[in-house]
Amino acid sequence: MAGNWKRFLASGIIVAFLVLLPLLTEIRTDTMSLLIMLCIYVILAQSWNLMGGYAGQINLGLAAFFGCGVLTTRLIWGVGAPFYLAILAGSIAAVILAAIIGIPSLRLRGVYFAIGTLALAEALRIVVGNVFPSTLYPSPDHFVGFSLVPRYYVGLALAVVTTAVVHIVANSRLGLALLAIRDDEEAAKVTGVNIFKYKVIVFIISSFMAGLAGGVFTYYRLSIMPYEQFTALWTFGPVMAAAIGGAGTIIGPIAGCIFLVIVEDWFALALGEAHYIVFGIIFILVILFLPGGMVEAVDRVRKFLVRLPSSKAD
Amino acid sequence: MLEISKIDVYYGDLQALWDVSLTIEDGEIVALVGSNGAGKSTTVKTISGLLKPRSGSISYNGIRLDKLPAHKMVELGICMVPEGRRLFPEMSVLENLEVGAFVSQARKAKDETISRVYHIFPVLKDRASQAAGTLSGGEQQMLAIGRALMSQPKLLLLDEMSLGLAPLLVRSLSQVIRQINKSGVTLLLVEQNVHMTLELADRGYIMENGRIVDQGDAGVLLGSEQVKHAYLGIM
Amino acid sequence: MIAQVIAYGIVVGALYGLVAIGLALLFGVARYLNITHGSFMMMGGYVSFWLFTLWHVDPFASVPLVMLVMFLIGLILYKTLFSPLSKLPEGLKINNSMLITFGLLWVLDNAGILLWTSDMRRVTPSYFGAMFEIFDVRLPFIGLGVIGLALLVVFALHLLLTKTYFGKSVRATTQDWEAAKLMGINIDRTYLVTCGIGVALAGVAGTAIALMYSITPGGGLEWLLIALIVLVLAGLGNIKGILIAGVMLGLVEAVSVYVVGAPYRAAVGLAIIVLVLMFRPQGLFTRRTRGA
Repeated sequence: MAGNWKRFLASGIIVAFLVLLPLLTEIRTDTMSLLIMLCIYVILAQSWNLMGGYAGQINLGLAAFFGCGVLTTRLIWGVGAPFYLAILAGSIAAVILAAIIGIPSLRLRGVYFAIGTLALAEALRIVVGNVFPSTLYPSPDHFVGFSLVPRYYVGLALAVVTTAVVHIVANSRLGLALLAIRDDEEAAKVTGVNIFKYKVIVFIISSFMAGLAGGVFTYYRLSIMPYEQFTALWTFGPVMAAAIGGAGTIIGPIAGCIFLVIVEDWFALALGEAHYIVFGIIFILVILFLPGGMVEAVDRVRKFLVRLPSSKAD
Repeated sequence: MLEISKIDVYYGDLQALWDVSLTIEDGEIVALVGSNGAGKSTTVKTISGLLKPRSGSISYNGIRLDKLPAHKMVELGICMVPEGRRLFPEMSVLENLEVGAFVSQARKAKDETISRVYHIFPVLKDRASQAAGTLSGGEQQMLAIGRALMSQPKLLLLDEMSLGLAPLLVRSLSQVIRQINKSGVTLLLVEQNVHMTLELADRGYIMENGRIVDQGDAGVLLGSEQVKHAYLGIM
Repeated sequence: MIAQVIAYGIVVGALYGLVAIGLALLFGVARYLNITHGSFMMMGGYVSFWLFTLWHVDPFASVPLVMLVMFLIGLILYKTLFSPLSKLPEGLKINNSMLITFGLLWVLDNAGILLWTSDMRRVTPSYFGAMFEIFDVRLPFIGLGVIGLALLVVFALHLLLTKTYFGKSVRATTQDWEAAKLMGINIDRTYLVTCGIGVALAGVAGTAIALMYSITPGGGLEWLLIALIVLVLAGLGNIKGILIAGVMLGLVEAVSVYVVGAPYRAAVGLAIIVLVLMFRPQGLFTRRTRGA
């Protein structure tokens, strides 16, 4: 389709630009940090988006899988394993966690999944905080020659990959099944769709992604205070980004993350801590009145413009 | 007097009723009959406010019903005994009756109405503290009717009262219906059991595929060729 | 020694029941899962704290006032955030209620930090350290007070639900809301008042938490977790079994802390959820399988 062509081209150009950026100019450290965090947020937001936006399963404990990825990557990397193995271990650990809570709860109605994941994140936060009360530092040679640039590329690559995965899933038969589940779980069950299997598959992909984000975070931060990554902030931020941007779309979470990270930068100066409150209120308003988020808003504006007599249809 | 005028009712995007019109005069027993899926229940649910018509109107003594929420109907004196009874299964027989008198004017006369219901259905008094979900089908139907009577209705809508009940029980319930009507309550009987209902009623409407296809005096309808032809076998 | 552990388990368990009952009521009746429940507990605790600190109101005596304030907040919560969801199908309704209250938790907790700082507060009346001793077991006076409070609340709720017309309309609405409408019951108003009561009960729990532990604006999530464990244990939607489920959780926690150590207490609760969901999803006290 002509539309898809253009979209792919535009995405490709943007990605190429982002890839070349560090090679073309010297980016300030704080801007680079911002971009890396943006990438991490995108990965997390897409992870949540797969379960929440497409399958209609609300993961209120995203932080559990992120934190697990962070901690496991830190530990495995810390004992001398190469980074790529460490991040893989982190993601697999996240998947194991997903199995522990997912298998009991995904057989049941959606509310159990939300409760289970929320409980998982909160319980882990407390236990991890008790078991690892102090900061974990990497070995000193990791500090030597430290540059943000490889972190940026890893983050960017994974952000692109996870977005691509969401795109692939959404346009596959799995994606169709997910839509059926999201719209009416009971009805989907009656038509013979094995909803448990699909939910589990998507949850595995989603939690693996969240684990990857954790790995990137460890790669970027080097030293971590383990329990911090299990706090609700790491669930709320990505959820909010995905929802405000547009859950159930491919570009929505990205838009939401950009909105979040940029506006947070502005707001933090003006409002200090209160910016969380503002985001929370926007989030609530979006759920109530504009469930499709920014993507829906743009769509509505476009439709409105089409109706104006002087505009032509696309 | 209840007047339904040309209502169209939809379930989502699916149309269920086309241009249905119906009147019920005070004191009458009116039958609304037809085979399964004809739209009878949809009509009654629309009267009681659980569904809203997309076009047309429903008025009761001049008051527009289709604009009111379902819980207002009882205050106006309209009460429905829903299809499948819809009792409160974990509440006792007595509690179900009490909830039937929820509306304030009925609440005041509660004790008196309860003894009247027990008089009509003595078995309910025996089972007063039993959970409604544990009653037999016939007892549940009696409780459902009794519960509706608790609201001191002027117009009683009975949706598929005879469904799943033994013929002997249906016959004795019909006697009760006649009694209730004699005490001044107007009745709309929605049934698949055409014969019994038309025998009981004063007037009748026949529905098919969401439309009224025939109406008139109950006795005339009973003898009509169309009814005999269409419903032979559903007696 | 074991008797002491059990005694503490019962005290803590009574608190756990108190913590869960408001959440169970709202979900059981109206099918809204209020993730903000923990934050409302903290809020109730703060009301009690300020009443005590500014006007020396005894915390147990402050309960009615806390309930009144929180009841009004619950009404506002329902009117603004829940009633827009009422037309949605049940699955979407539950999902959106969780998301909205998750957002509200964020707003309230951060607002609380701004207003009151994240310092931990507790209410320490004159009898704070006093202990009762029965058969070698020492229990804090406050702990007994909380058990009494929990019993009182559960009993009062029981009376409300069984002896009053409002209570019967609530039960009827829970069992069949369409039929309840046909009886002339205004479902929306029923849900409104139930939400008010649920939040009021959260406030009572908060008062007890401020006494037995401490309150801080971000502390609600930890208590919400406990409420959720109790709910799952009793069975989502079950109100009658909440106090017993709470006591069970308290006992299991107390014994397991004795065995595996305090750092892993939260993991015990999580394990309970996983086990219940795996083997008896309808909860211990619900007969019908409402799970899948």
